[in-house]
Amino acid sequence: LTKFGTEEKKMLKLSWSIKLNIQVLLLQFYSKIVFCFPFRFNYRSTHHLTSNGFYEFLNWFDERAWYPLGRIVGGTVYPGLMVTAGLIHYVLNLLHITVHIRDVCVFLAPVFSGLTSISTFLLTRELWNQGAGLLAACFIAIVPGYISRSVAGSFDNEGIAIFALQFTYYLWVKSVKTGSVFWAIGCCLSYFYMVSAWGGYVFIINLIPLHVFVLLLMQRFSRRVYIAYSTFYIIGLVLSMQIPFVGFQPIRTSEHMAAAGVFVLLQVYAFLQYLKDRLTRQEFQTLFFLGVALAAGVVFLSVIYLTYTGTNKLKCYAKIHIPIIASVSEHQPTTWVSFFFDLHILVCTFPAGLWFCIKNINDERVFVALYAISAVYFAGVMVRLMLTLTPVVCMLSAVAFSCVFEHYLGDDMKRQSPPAEDSRLGPNIKSIVTMLMLMLLMMFAVHCTWVTSNAYSSPSVVLASYNHDGSRNILDDFREAYYWLRQNTDEHARVMSWWDYGYQIAGMANRTTLVDNNTWNNSHIALVGKAMSSNETAAYEIMRSLDVDYVLIIFGGVIGYSGDDINKFLWMVRIAEGEHPRDIRESDYFTPQGEFRVDKAGSPTLLNCLMYKMSYYRFGEMQLDFRTPPGFDRTRNAEIGNKDIKLKHLEEAFTSEHWLVRIYKVKKLENRDRTSSL
Amino acid sequence: MKGNEYEGMTLLSEKVAQLMEWTSRRSVIRMNGDKFRRFVKAPPRNYSMIIMFTALQPHRQCGVCRQADEEFQALANSWRYSSAFTNKVFFALVDFDEGSDVFQMLNMNSAPTFLHFPAKGRPRRADTYELQVRGFGAEQLARWVADRTDVMIRVIRPPNYAGPLLLGLLLAVIGGLAYLRRHNLEFLFSKNVWAFSALCFALIMTSGQMWNHIRGPPYAHKNPSTGQISYIHGSSQAQFVAETHMCYAAVTLGMVLLCEAATSPLDIGKRRIMCVAGIGLVMLFFSWLLSIFRAKYHGYPYRSVTP
Repeated sequence: LTKFGTEEKKMLKLSWSIKLNIQVLLLQFYSKIVFCFPFRFNYRSTHHLTSNGFYEFLNWFDERAWYPLGRIVGGTVYPGLMVTAGLIHYVLNLLHITVHIRDVCVFLAPVFSGLTSISTFLLTRELWNQGAGLLAACFIAIVPGYISRSVAGSFDNEGIAIFALQFTYYLWVKSVKTGSVFWAIGCCLSYFYMVSAWGGYVFIINLIPLHVFVLLLMQRFSRRVYIAYSTFYIIGLVLSMQIPFVGFQPIRTSEHMAAAGVFVLLQVYAFLQYLKDRLTRQEFQTLFFLGVALAAGVVFLSVIYLTYTGTNKLKCYAKIHIPIIASVSEHQPTTWVSFFFDLHILVCTFPAGLWFCIKNINDERVFVALYAISAVYFAGVMVRLMLTLTPVVCMLSAVAFSCVFEHYLGDDMKRQSPPAEDSRLGPNIKSIVTMLMLMLLMMFAVHCTWVTSNAYSSPSVVLASYNHDGSRNILDDFREAYYWLRQNTDEHARVMSWWDYGYQIAGMANRTTLVDNNTWNNSHIALVGKAMSSNETAAYEIMRSLDVDYVLIIFGGVIGYSGDDINKFLWMVRIAEGEHPRDIRESDYFTPQGEFRVDKAGSPTLLNCLMYKMSYYRFGEMQLDFRTPPGFDRTRNAEIGNKDIKLKHLEEAFTSEHWLVRIYKVKKLENRDRTSSL
Repeated sequence: MKGNEYEGMTLLSEKVAQLMEWTSRRSVIRMNGDKFRRFVKAPPRNYSMIIMFTALQPHRQCGVCRQADEEFQALANSWRYSSAFTNKVFFALVDFDEGSDVFQMLNMNSAPTFLHFPAKGRPRRADTYELQVRGFGAEQLARWVADRTDVMIRVIRPPNYAGPLLLGLLLAVIGGLAYLRRHNLEFLFSKNVWAFSALCFALIMTSGQMWNHIRGPPYAHKNPSTGQISYIHGSSQAQFVAETHMCYAAVTLGMVLLCEAATSPLDIGKRRIMCVAGIGLVMLFFSWLLSIFRAKYHGYPYRSVTP
């Protein structure tokens, strides 16, 4: 297999270019927009960085978000992504290749995913052999679980974080194998990059100590492990504390304590080994070692248990008392269909790869086995963490396929030790197996292409629907509304909307928002929720106190869009009820039978609340087609109950083409109090 | 105590003292028609009564009443032993068989029902607890009570010792086994054992068992109109327990067999059988998996391995 020299490089280049091609092709269709909600914020921060410089960025206080509180961006964000994009932009402009920062942001993710394939190749080659490495690189280039975060235009932390993760792991495995300080320092630098890029660095700082601990338990302690981990821990700790957002957490929070515990344990163990070499009382020493290992194990387990119950309590508490966390769909557990959808054949073959790894165990394969087990547990619990499972699934499936190919593909006679005449499987069987494997791989590639084109390639800002004749109908209401806001409102106008749209309004319309996707202040969000769910007069009080000029809502009743604000309304009520239980009660918005209805049978509180009035203003006069009565809501499939809506304190400012986005202006106070008689 | 003895106790303080005495014996006071009229309906009254109307007799066969009764008892106990206990709120219970006249008087025809009788004025619509909407959990009841009476009750349930006890038992069994086999701990070092357990764990997690654990779906669904049992949930957002059992284990086994067939030192006949078995498993079960996937993701265009 060593003749793969130049061919391997060609294959790598091929996998990288395949990836880039798929993603750029998808992008050409929708033109270069940076889409999806959290990415607007990252782009805005990067823009701020390139316009104002690095120190301005670190000290940035954003007064245009979370009005009137503002947000300290410099201290509450992971700067890795913005700094990477800014650096690339700076270097390119230095070489007089003029690119706009927006183009850098859009194309950053595919470039880094190519780098991820390369680092996966390196890591798998260290673990198994080159053949497996090539397969792993090809798998990760097209697997849907990773493509969702690395399409062009997806400018989010995970795009660069997975590359940093794989590269750090590669350097760690290399440093354990060679025991040289050079590789360990490289690992630390890569870890520093990972800490600056993503909050998921906690995974690394727990997995590597776990690996060292298990090696100790398996009596595989060696000088190499000692050198690698000691260097990594100290320098990695100091480097990780340089990021302002991380600060002193590595020496205070329980998630980092395991690393410290293992470090201490390792020192003690090494010291005992040193003593053992110099003393002759062997049996006493082994007993002593056992006792110490047991004590340390107990300490380690108790730390894990404390962490587990700490976060477990937090999870249960959070679910009941902070409905925001419960309402994000990415925090739900994973069905088996999601696994299969994202990973296809790889999820079936990855346990087989795990089996082979453990059967032929050595230091680095212990690492990948631990990585696999922990990643599969977390992915089972939260859909969002499927992303951390994808690299290890690719690696282990590559190992499994490589095993099969190795035995069934080559010609037996050319091996170093050809097996005896009668103990060979016939060439027929071998070719059948080879054909089967190739067919499986082909099906995988086809599945990935289908998934990518259907599920992960439409920017959520622009909606597409298909007509009866199959032609595509593009609904560009969001952008239409944001540009209206941008061009027709005062520059310092404040826009109130639900937090999902905060980043988009701040990015595309360039207006001050009240709440956005960062969701760091629950009471502020509850206040907005209370305004949306109260009647118009009470809501007007709240809006006056918050200095709101415009209110923006999403309404899907005309086209049947199911992600609109009326469908999210119950979450607004729940969050508001959490903070204002006396004023808002969720049961008020249901009928006496316990149903949520928008038609005549709906609860009067619901039919008179601000969100209802704003969504259905003038909708009662609109007849969509001759079969349904006027005011028929296509999303809820019901005729609305309150058709004659009059707004007292708001006036309609803008409604987009398909009524998807509706903007209302908040009227100022009357000059003269009408109710007082003179 | 007979009915006519109550007629003397019209003074408010005597009523309250009597209620306190009953509460000290049992957190939830059992009432019949007479007691109800004297203590809940008749003035003077400066205390609130939270009353559960239920039917606990076995021949009534009301399972919900029994479950609600447990929760109500937990709530009343928490109240009685809490530091904020006052004589302003009392918990009581009226059983249908003991106080059917009360049910008639209040026009009540369903059980269980929770009513709040405020100290002043008539009970309003919000003084009836909405059982359908909120359920009968003690925490929800406590919130409703707090809403109506301004009294915060923290529900404390007696600690459940079953969990830690079981864990202790398990550890003891493991410790005993380890001690017995302490000279022969070879199985701990066996790679097969570790590899197999890791494989099982990975298969368990990826087949969606955590989703089952958290959401608690049914095993299968029986369509009430056609009587047909479906083991596969129609949409891709949910799953039944039956689905998670028919998963990738077979395909994985097939791959493992294929590799083992090539390398293991058994004789050639067995190896051929292993190989063929591996091929068969992979092909068959993967196509089955694809067809189930198709059933859930409508619009998925690809069929089994053999198109």
